[in-house]
Amino acid sequence: MLHSLDQFFSILAGYMDEYTVVPVLYHFHWMEWDELSFDWCLVCMYGLFAVIVTYAICWPLEHFFPIERWDNKSAVLVDVFYTFLNRVGVIPVITFLLFYQAQTCFTGWVVDLGYIPPTLDSLIPGLFGHPILTFWLYALLLDGADYWRHRLSHSFRAWYALHALHHAQRQMSFWSDDRNHIFDDFISFAWFFIIGLAIGIPPLQFPLLMLGLRFIESFSHANIRVNFGPLEWLVVSPRFHRLHHALRAAGRGSFNYAGVFSLWDVIFRTADFSPLYLPTGDAKAPEALATGSYLAQQICGAKMFFASLAKTFGLTGRKPA
Amino acid sequence: MITRRAALGLPFALAATPAFADTGAPPPICMVMNSGDATISVIDMTTRQIIATQPTFREPSHWALTPDRQTLYVSDAGGNALFAFDPQTGAPKGHAPIADPYQLGYSPDAKYLVVNALRLNHVDVYDTASLALVKRFQAGKMPSHLDFSPDSRWCFSSQQESDTLFSFDMTTLTPRWTVPIGHTPAGVLWLNGKLIVCIMGENGIVEVDPVDGHITRRQKTGPGAHNVFLDSKNQILYVSNRAVGHTSLAALDPVTLEVKRVYPIDGGPDDIGIAPDGKIWIALRFNEEVAVMDPQTGDYETIQVGRSPHGIYLSTILSRQGRITAETI
Repeated sequence: MLHSLDQFFSILAGYMDEYTVVPVLYHFHWMEWDELSFDWCLVCMYGLFAVIVTYAICWPLEHFFPIERWDNKSAVLVDVFYTFLNRVGVIPVITFLLFYQAQTCFTGWVVDLGYIPPTLDSLIPGLFGHPILTFWLYALLLDGADYWRHRLSHSFRAWYALHALHHAQRQMSFWSDDRNHIFDDFISFAWFFIIGLAIGIPPLQFPLLMLGLRFIESFSHANIRVNFGPLEWLVVSPRFHRLHHALRAAGRGSFNYAGVFSLWDVIFRTADFSPLYLPTGDAKAPEALATGSYLAQQICGAKMFFASLAKTFGLTGRKPA
Repeated sequence: MITRRAALGLPFALAATPAFADTGAPPPICMVMNSGDATISVIDMTTRQIIATQPTFREPSHWALTPDRQTLYVSDAGGNALFAFDPQTGAPKGHAPIADPYQLGYSPDAKYLVVNALRLNHVDVYDTASLALVKRFQAGKMPSHLDFSPDSRWCFSSQQESDTLFSFDMTTLTPRWTVPIGHTPAGVLWLNGKLIVCIMGENGIVEVDPVDGHITRRQKTGPGAHNVFLDSKNQILYVSNRAVGHTSLAALDPVTLEVKRVYPIDGGPDDIGIAPDGKIWIALRFNEEVAVMDPQTGDYETIQVGRSPHGIYLSTILSRQGRITAETI
């Protein structure tokens, strides 16, 4: 069943690549990207599928078991836009293309020094030939790396100025997961690139499993009155993650940073399992971050970021008293 | 012919067509490098059934047979490794760390293994015996395919993003020239004292003088000309075209470069191999299939393999005399 589904999406991606993407690459003399374009199409197909499945599961649950009911949902619409930009591959492909040369130069330099980036299955005896086990190990470790990226984004003022966009949403729903400043997305990309040099890239042949993990991240933002009971110690639930988005948890000194495996919060002592469904948002964030348009949010976030950087480095332009 | 469109709605079925005599020896095998699946499908060429699926780390793409014919190396760029297999049976023999190996080939004098590191923009020269790095060239962006002069004096590597062809001297390991060659050059083949280079961003191949790199002839084969192969009898030159809608395999006269026939093949043909019965085995990148085509009729059947099948190796090539490469089939 899963294999057939996987094959079905591969075939659709093949159609998309052959009849839409490759002709465009050919026309504009960009055929050097032909090797990667099939992967992009797969990301796009699976992304669309993920959006549809997430909507099909989460919308009825949000409708029948909501934590909050909103009269005006216009702020959610912007999150829908973020979701499509990210899930169908627009932001990931732009990020990839922007950083491709830098990534190539840096990796080439590291390799010139004699270091060949390993993979987990080359490092750990017995793991090779067990790709699903390898996948889960990567999923766990990369989620651990993401825990620290997320935790650090709450620790540095300038970084949080970007991340505040994600926290500003008062109408948090399953659409809110991809609501990020594009600079924050760039940092995430660079973060995982560095991790990739240390432990290699994960096996990419299990897109359905990857979708499952992404679903957990979307679901954890959902406006649904649900918890996972004892399983919450292992997997992030909507209640667990909502505590991280609560007004009192915005900015520094927050908790529940994990994206998928709450285990990381348990290990690093930042877990809060309070049985509460609190209002979300960041009281200190400008209103534009909460209810502005996509562009307004991005511009506001960038201004806050640069202002915070200037303040950090004493470049505010104010004369000394 | 089973098309991808039909595969969407119909269960896959393929009648086996016995084409090889039973000699008691290991069955002839086809190994298909599934770049998107991190696996290699091992197919019994007699029954056309997959008899094994060998794992790799991330992204197997191309192959090279060691000069002593004892080991088949498969490159795994994303996994930074060369995987070794028994070329008769497809049994795994381990792996070695190598930075970003994409397309690769042994020099005709068997002294060096040259590897195009596409992602890292390196052309790396390794010692055949020890696999120690001997020389690294940064000759352009996205080194794609390579070939040698038969006397092992020169090596040629297409630089996919730079739109150039790069040549270096194998005796001194110094660069010779880099010339603009066309948009997105890919497959490279030494043929009758010249070089044939596929121009993927255009619609055919160019013939290049290996002395100075100037283009001596151009021939249209189809949009997205990707790789080029010469049959073992030196009678037909095949070019896989895989862009813009209907992808194809073109058959050319290797002397005049005249296109004799174009076989429309759905699904993005990439690398090919020719079996002793004359059937052409073709990796279909977009379809998760290998096509087995009768060149007389152009009809083909397909075998389902892993995602993004790329390089293809037929063990029947071992019965041939002389040097064996992935492009002289």
